Amino acid sequence: MLRHPARLVLLVVLLLPPMASPSPRAAEGDNIFAIDINDPAALQEANRILAEEIKLAARPQTYVILDLVARSVVIKGRGAELHRLPIEQWSAVHLADASSTFRLQARPPVARHKIEPAAGDEQPPVSLEDMPSDFTLVFSPSLLVAVHPSAAEDIWRWLRFTAREWWSWLKDWGRRLMTGNEPAVQPVLRLTLAPHHAQSLAWTVTEGMPFLVRRTSSPPS
Amino acid sequence: MKRIIAALGAASLALLLLLLARTLPPTDASIVPAVEPDQATLHTLQSRYRSLSKQLAQLMPGQPYIVVDTARNHLYIKRRDHVMLDALASTGSGTILDKPGEAKGQWIFDTPRGEFMVQTKLVNPVWVKPDWAFVEEGLAIPKTAADRIEPGVLGEYALGFGKGYFIHGTLYPRLLGKNVTHGCIRLNDDDLKSVYRLARVGTPIMIF
Repeated sequence: MLRHPARLVLLVVLLLPPMASPSPRAAEGDNIFAIDINDPAALQEANRILAEEIKLAARPQTYVILDLVARSVVIKGRGAELHRLPIEQWSAVHLADASSTFRLQARPPVARHKIEPAAGDEQPPVSLEDMPSDFTLVFSPSLLVAVHPSAAEDIWRWLRFTAREWWSWLKDWGRRLMTGNEPAVQPVLRLTLAPHHAQSLAWTVTEGMPFLVRRTSSPPS
Repeated sequence: MKRIIAALGAASLALLLLLLARTLPPTDASIVPAVEPDQATLHTLQSRYRSLSKQLAQLMPGQPYIVVDTARNHLYIKRRDHVMLDALASTGSGTILDKPGEAKGQWIFDTPRGEFMVQTKLVNPVWVKPDWAFVEEGLAIPKTAADRIEPGVLGEYALGFGKGYFIHGTLYPRLLGKNVTHGCIRLNDDDLKSVYRLARVGTPIMIF
């Protein structure tokens, strides 16, 4: 063997791959959502999300997963988690129809300060505190995500939100009564976030940003 | 008396809304379609789940990548889920400046969001001042490129990620952690050195 060092090197090279431990990336990827793999409904939904996410992660972009199972808004890029915002509460109507990738049509408006060159004084920058915590995101295909801050932080905001929700429901009901027609079905998702997390979401989203909604088989508690 | 009536009114309204909130239209009881729990279906679903999970894991960057959180002004270098560097940064101010001579033209000083990559790595960079830097100071835009050059303001290194945006140093470290820049990402000298050392041309930069 020693007289043929090249053969020894070849032998080592041939033996190394089978001896090496399995790829950590493959091991990591075995149960990305940490779900019960004996639950067929959860598996089916996870598979749908994964198939959509693979398409999004293959492109240079950031995207958002509204994960109702893990109660989180997850900002991702290339499959890697960049940031996570906890959802305190959620409710939904017609979400059974929400099974595609949704594109955000417009981000919440930002109050920007204008620099006046002649004035010579510094303009205050836009910061997270300037962002709204109570806003609605409109998507294509049709999906409405209403974000509002948690009641514990501001009871008046919550009352205003509830009143608005009720008013909208009442208008729909009135329209149905008057015309006899069922209003067009639109998936609506209502998210309650801590105020600073709601502001953070308003800051993060951009026009055209793709969103996925991971649905659950159990109603929100 | 008026105050008592107002308080009672507000309390009644709050109570009414609380009661109404409990009767709001119900959430879809089951929003994921039911699946027949037979063994063959379950096995197929499990195999597909493993296969898709592996495919997604393979799309994750294998090498270190840069993440910039513009809301909290932090720059991270990560390798998979491990944070190799957490640096305080400054990012775009979000302010606007009118372009002279254009009715609707404006510069918006945001740090761009999305995925980019390191395109250039420079040592002792010089700043070639763009038009907005002169307009902002109320100065005339120079005719020659030589009048735009300003050395020593970007620190020892700069990493370009396209369209004139750079990760660079700062003369104002007290402003780190704030949204004060014209879109570039500023770091202190030590963190800038680490980023320069860890990043290569092609390193992904994910900005949110």
